[in-house]
Amino acid sequence: MTENNNLIEVKNLTKIYEEGNVLAVDDISFNIKKGEIFALLGPNGAGKTTTISILATLLSSTKGEAFVNNYDVNKDSDKVRKSIGIVFQEPSLDGEMKGWENLELHAILYGMPKKERQVKIQEVLELVDLDDRANTFVKNYSGGMKRRLEIARGLIHKPTVLFLDEPTLGLDPQTRRKIWDKIKELNKGNSKITILITTHYMEEADELADRICIMDHGKIIAMDTSENLKRQLSGDVIDIQFENVEERFMISGIIRKIKEINGVKNVSFGTAEGEQEIMPNFQPPPGMPNIDPAMIQARMREILSEPNKLIMAWKRMPMAAGMFLNAPLTMKKKIANMFDDNLLEEVPGSIKEEIIRIKNGEFEEEEEELEPSISISCESGGKQLPLIIQKINENGLKIKTVNMHQPTLEDVFLHYVGTAIREESSNHSKDIRKMIQMRQLRK
Amino acid sequence: MSDLYIEKSKVNYNAMWILAKRELLSFWRNKSRVISSIAQGILFLFVFGAGFSQVEIFIGITRVDSRAFSASGIAAMVILFTGIFGGMSIFRDKMFGFMKELLVAPVSRRTLMLGRTVGVALQTMLQVSIIIALSVAFQFFGYDLSLIWRVMLILPVAFLASIGIVGIGLTISTRLNDMQSFGLIQTFIVMPMMWLSGALIPLPVQITIFNPFTYSVDLFRFVMLGVSYFPFWIDILVTASFGAILILIGARSFNKMEISQ
Repeated sequence: MTENNNLIEVKNLTKIYEEGNVLAVDDISFNIKKGEIFALLGPNGAGKTTTISILATLLSSTKGEAFVNNYDVNKDSDKVRKSIGIVFQEPSLDGEMKGWENLELHAILYGMPKKERQVKIQEVLELVDLDDRANTFVKNYSGGMKRRLEIARGLIHKPTVLFLDEPTLGLDPQTRRKIWDKIKELNKGNSKITILITTHYMEEADELADRICIMDHGKIIAMDTSENLKRQLSGDVIDIQFENVEERFMISGIIRKIKEINGVKNVSFGTAEGEQEIMPNFQPPPGMPNIDPAMIQARMREILSEPNKLIMAWKRMPMAAGMFLNAPLTMKKKIANMFDDNLLEEVPGSIKEEIIRIKNGEFEEEEEELEPSISISCESGGKQLPLIIQKINENGLKIKTVNMHQPTLEDVFLHYVGTAIREESSNHSKDIRKMIQMRQLRK
Repeated sequence: MSDLYIEKSKVNYNAMWILAKRELLSFWRNKSRVISSIAQGILFLFVFGAGFSQVEIFIGITRVDSRAFSASGIAAMVILFTGIFGGMSIFRDKMFGFMKELLVAPVSRRTLMLGRTVGVALQTMLQVSIIIALSVAFQFFGYDLSLIWRVMLILPVAFLASIGIVGIGLTISTRLNDMQSFGLIQTFIVMPMMWLSGALIPLPVQITIFNPFTYSVDLFRFVMLGVSYFPFWIDILVTASFGAILILIGARSFNKMEISQ
């Protein structure tokens, strides 16, 4: 083990779940320096929790090495355990015990003598503003209080590194902000503590982390500071919203033309306001309660961005076809516009009929609709914008709003995660199967 | 995978004791559990005590007081219920995520398991003493001087007998992943062990001999009545080895337990 200021070293770490032969973590390596906040960012099923579980000695790795505080996680598990504090993704408190008792049990398990324990428990309770609720049963705590108590518990035995697995999952914005403040506070001053955090919220990683590691499908896709990641996606993002709902079927043609412009890197259909429309009330099916709706939405958005992927999904999954037929009209129209006559040939029967009906305007008089929009990423937006607008005007489409902005972390994330999936599109169905398996494992 | 979990088998006694205390505390705080265990005791005592008061019960060739026969059987029966369902508190911890907190702590799994076992066994002793106290108060046992040491002796016996039963609960609950199986356990493990042990009704030895719990019940009778179906040392031997085997099986499945997040 090298003597340097890396608190965590991960080398070629691989984890294959024997059950189902799922590759959850695929040959990843990274180092975390002392005093750093390091975020693993990625969609659910990316392998973040598996990675953290290996580092916390709850799982053994299939291949590769990992060191925490200079101890090997496979050999010195007890020493590793004493070096870390961990806050799990799901609550892990005993609701039948009081707040203080939960902390005391933890302190005893970690072998702290009585006097030290009393002082330290009081100290961490004050740190998370729970000292007045120490004698309340945990089952009567709110979600945010439970989270804070768990963070306090993770700090009692003075760990050198704190693992936070999705610390603000399912919390309201206000509570989330409070937790963020606490996390930042921990990372300040003399007792500056190193923090490894996993999240699928961009803004959380952006706000907290010194460095961000984007993971997808068990692999590291990008790793850098938030600023550098954004810089890599040089240029600008232009969102254009169109006025005329009726002309939306012309948009796929426009997209092709805009792509031909020099300096335009990518054009995708209907982000911005439009994307909120994808399955607004999505509820996970009863058999899979742990699926995060946000993740499904992200996944669907991605499938919906390309007609070929859609066709593939319809052919392979009857559920996808059903979803389309039951989708709201705006959604259906949006999809229908992506298919020109050539593409339509490949679409399975019932859906093809529905699309033709929509294109013929059979549902036209129903409900008012959202304007279609496109999102363009290009090198220097200022230069390209007139050209783009010209192209649009040539085709007789009316623009409602144009919005040009610097890429956000979200754009970066979609850029990386999106391209990675596109590269693998030859074995796309295998990909989906892997994701489903991973999700089942998470139950 | 399991290599990782079989750590140094050192037992951390402080940790073990706090875990045992947690079991007792949760029993004590859950007042409905305390009340229902007392109410159930009274119900059983009176239904079976009254039912058999007219019947002549013989153990071997000795005629025994039928009310005392029922009371000691019911006290033993309590071990079965409390032990198995106490051992299954692990399942509750798994469901509520607390198990992860325990598994990531720097203590051996043996410590975790011993803490749980001792906690439930102590809780069982508490329940048994409630039943014994009730039956003494309602004069199910004739009052004499020997009753005092009999009652005192019954507590360590209850502790010993509950070890194996807790082992069953631990083994099941570490493998169990859903709530629905509780009914199955009730039907296929608890009920047969209870009815085929002769705890509540006198049964011929040919039926009860294959049930390991019979020997615990018999030991209870030996202590409380002074007579038993089997020699008391056989009772102790079977109860102790049953406990040892089950606790080893329980430890094995505890070591193998995995928590997927």
